Amino acid sequence: MLLQLKNVSKWVQSGGQKTFLLKDINFWVNEGDFISIMGPSGSGKSTLLNVIGMLDGFNEGEYTFLDESVHSLKEKHRSNLYKQYIGFVFQSYHLIDELTVKENLEMPLLYKKYGSSERKSLVGDMLDRFNIVGKKDLFPSQLSGGQQQLVGIARALIASPKLILADEPTGNLNSKQGEEIMETFTQLNKEGVTIIQVTHSEKNMAYGSRVINLLDGNLV
Amino acid sequence: MFKHYIKIAWRNAIRQKQFTILNVLGLSIGIATCFIIGLYIHSEMTYDTFHERGERIYRVNQPNIWRDWNEVSSATGPNVATALRSDAPDFEEITRLLNTGTQVVKVGGESNQTSIYKEEQYFAVEENFLDVFSFDLLKGNPKTVFAEPFSMVITTKTAKRYFGNQNPLGKTVEVKDFDGSWKTYTVNGVVADVPYKSHIQFEVLVSLKSFSDQMHANGWKWIWTAFSTYGLVKEGTDIGELTDQIQAIPPKWAPPTTERIFNQTFDEFTAGNAWRLYLQPLSDIYIAGEPTIHSFGPTGDPIFIKIFGAIGLLVLVLSCINFMNLSTARSSKRAKEIGVRKVLGTKRKSLIKQFILESTLFVFIGTVLALVLVQLSLKIFNTIADVNIELISHFTNPWFLIGVLIFVVVLGLISGSYPAFYLSMFQPIETLKGKIGKKFRGKGIRNGLVVVQFTISIALVICTLFVQKQLGYASSLDVGFEKENILQIHNIEQIGFDTEVLKTKFLSNPAFTKVGKSFGLPPNVWTGDRYKTVDAQNDVVQLRNLRAEEDYLDVLGVEFVAGSNFDVSRPNDKYKVILNEEAVRALGWGDKTTYKTDSPIGKILALASGSEDEFEVMGVVKDFNINSVQQKIAPLVIIHHQNDKVWDYGGGLSYYSMRLNPMMVTNVEDLQVLINKVENDLARIDPSIPFEYSFMDQDFENTFISEQRMATILNVFTFMALVIACLGLFGLSAFTAEQRVKELSIRKVLGAKVSSLAVLFSSEFTKLVVVAIVFATPIAYLLVDWWLENFAYRTPIDVWVFIVAAISAIGITLITVSFQTLKVAMSNPIKNLRTE
Repeated sequence: MLLQLKNVSKWVQSGGQKTFLLKDINFWVNEGDFISIMGPSGSGKSTLLNVIGMLDGFNEGEYTFLDESVHSLKEKHRSNLYKQYIGFVFQSYHLIDELTVKENLEMPLLYKKYGSSERKSLVGDMLDRFNIVGKKDLFPSQLSGGQQQLVGIARALIASPKLILADEPTGNLNSKQGEEIMETFTQLNKEGVTIIQVTHSEKNMAYGSRVINLLDGNLV
Repeated sequence: MFKHYIKIAWRNAIRQKQFTILNVLGLSIGIATCFIIGLYIHSEMTYDTFHERGERIYRVNQPNIWRDWNEVSSATGPNVATALRSDAPDFEEITRLLNTGTQVVKVGGESNQTSIYKEEQYFAVEENFLDVFSFDLLKGNPKTVFAEPFSMVITTKTAKRYFGNQNPLGKTVEVKDFDGSWKTYTVNGVVADVPYKSHIQFEVLVSLKSFSDQMHANGWKWIWTAFSTYGLVKEGTDIGELTDQIQAIPPKWAPPTTERIFNQTFDEFTAGNAWRLYLQPLSDIYIAGEPTIHSFGPTGDPIFIKIFGAIGLLVLVLSCINFMNLSTARSSKRAKEIGVRKVLGTKRKSLIKQFILESTLFVFIGTVLALVLVQLSLKIFNTIADVNIELISHFTNPWFLIGVLIFVVVLGLISGSYPAFYLSMFQPIETLKGKIGKKFRGKGIRNGLVVVQFTISIALVICTLFVQKQLGYASSLDVGFEKENILQIHNIEQIGFDTEVLKTKFLSNPAFTKVGKSFGLPPNVWTGDRYKTVDAQNDVVQLRNLRAEEDYLDVLGVEFVAGSNFDVSRPNDKYKVILNEEAVRALGWGDKTTYKTDSPIGKILALASGSEDEFEVMGVVKDFNINSVQQKIAPLVIIHHQNDKVWDYGGGLSYYSMRLNPMMVTNVEDLQVLINKVENDLARIDPSIPFEYSFMDQDFENTFISEQRMATILNVFTFMALVIACLGLFGLSAFTAEQRVKELSIRKVLGAKVSSLAVLFSSEFTKLVVVAIVFATPIAYLLVDWWLENFAYRTPIDVWVFIVAAISAIGITLITVSFQTLKVAMSNPIKNLRTE
């Protein structure tokens, strides 16, 4: 088992009343899973993803990641954990405009203290793997949305994480580009990467092996 | 529409409190600094303007005939006025002031008690004095107050001092004459206290007729340069023409002086120099700071005016830049409003109008606040700058109010122009989509402006450091003798010439190791005379005179490089002289290296002014500073106090100087006891002698007073400039943080540590400051070099000062930016990435 959430709840206080963002979530992920989280707007999909990605905390419950109890870890430990094992893919790509494709890919490695030659070869591998060698010196604004998202995925993968978290990865793309991205995910999953995606679309959901439905913070 | 603009501006201001506070604060600090400097300059430039006919009053100056004919002196002989009255009909009035120097006034009290006052601000004036100058005569008849000999006019303050609340008119006081006798004067008038903005500062005026004996004997002289001559020209006089016309006067009137006193023709005496008469406008006298020679009253310094004017302008530029930077920086917040306005059909022109109106509003608020700040800080400024400037009194002056209004509008226009054009340029569709934030337009210009700000601030910091360094250097300079622990008692001349009784008393005091009398004290040895060598060349040179007894040189502890000190046991020694090295050089007798082969000892020096008495050189002392260390050491001849062949024998002020025994005087109380004892000793000899003392090292310190004051003011303004620049940087970093928050959050999600984010964020600003340092260094170097040229002894322009300034600038930058850095770096990235 890669990770497990037990009775996880998250809420905000508003006007003396608790508004639950997540309520009593029980949920586990095995290595090699491809999970789709579905649900209408405001149902807590992104919040759940952020909790899993350790970018956001929760108020109650237990979260175990690779046998570590995330809820009792110190902030520093926790960030080391997610840096090592989790890669993020965002709906709006979140590439850095001022950096070229190559530099964008290289960035996570810089923060993980990889050596220069290692960085070079890993970046080279990724460029190869996603067929974007020709684009390596371009800036994000010079790429199409699909290409940008491809770079986003490559960046998420570069430090070889065990888990990819993707928040509506095709939300800003047209259907053809979306399909290509989903194909890429399927391919990655086959190679052994665990993937959790948040999606609105039934079509994208179909790529996954398991579906989790959320409604108003509850698992359905 | 106007109301609508104001409403929008107000709501924006309220909504972005931090921005508004920064912006208004930065502006008002800048404007306040600028106003204070403006008021200061205005005050300095308007000295002597209270005289009703001030625009027509000129002071007559002439070359410094005693030392250097290229120098101008404000001191003229009594005959100059006589000549002008006779030969220059363009003058409506000519009046002269005799600068009598310090006088001792004895006032009899009610119960036979007499009080002694020492009056330093004491002049003898002519009958028409009040016709020329508009001093406010409160009591007495303006036509006749100075008509009789021994009539006196005093200020209100002095009247109070002398007579309390009694009517001073008709009262008599006694003034000690130079021969020690007392002369009775009658108070004929009272004038209002002299305005501080007057170069003629007096407490007591007496009629020049009181000196009729001297005037009779010496009134024809052109070398009795104790007078200041002022002329009131007729209306419509061409000053250039008049100046040309009066040049004929010295060659016509001065020859009797040169012939009778120096036995030289006029041309021989001037030796090719032109004896010019200069007309200096009254309003220039204070601020020109020139001529410095024999000038009395306060003087300004045109360099200060230039420096502070420049700083005032720079500070204003700094705060304008702040305003522009902050206004454009918050553009992303305004972008949507602009987009909506444009879509709804607003023309660019009216947008520009709106923003300029807004900035004018800001400037107006800033100005009002600045005026409050000025009023609050004036007292402090007046104290540290030793000035007396006012703000409130200007409010009744319509020109001031109009000036302020124009200032607001112009500053509003300038500081509003760039934001207005920049903001109104936005494309409506893009701004509605919220794209403006991403592109960060105008970043180049904003960064450029920050570089300008920091260049100015850093250059100021470097200059300030060097000013401090120079002051420290100058006051620590070796003056050639140990200037510490020398106590000096003044007014010894009033005892008479024989002061041995007092000296014996002093000598018996174990607190003094050495006691000596002199007729001048460093750093104020100014008297000089013309001398020549009696060998082949016969060159005439100017040497400073210092009359002293042999013991005085021991008190100073000056070093002899050749020959020896006067020796009392050899009666002939009193007709010999001691030179300093500079004098030996000036006389063409070689320098230290040639003394062995061609010793100056035994050479003959002769006076070259009238008498041709010859003096043998018996010693050469190592050069020591007889004036402030700002000046090169002048050639000096030390004359024995009993040498009755030199003209000023028996005259002049004299002093006793004592070297303190540090073993006996260890603390302030000891010193006070000692001073009391000395006062007592003096009083026993003659209680009418005012007791006055000074310390040599303090006198040397005082020669830097104006520099020290400038340094203090400079410190304050540099600090202001830095504060303003930092406010700007703070605002800009807040804005940049907003711009870059997304990027930094991505980095954080991808694994960046807080520290690496902090470095990344601050480096953007550090880079700007480094560029500013590169620009500021040469600018500051040139300024410092220019300023140091005023000094004879300069502190070296060391590299470490620049390094210190650079490091502090970077340090200040990091601290200023760190608030935003930490805020951004520590924030939860997911919050910043969420909304899309």
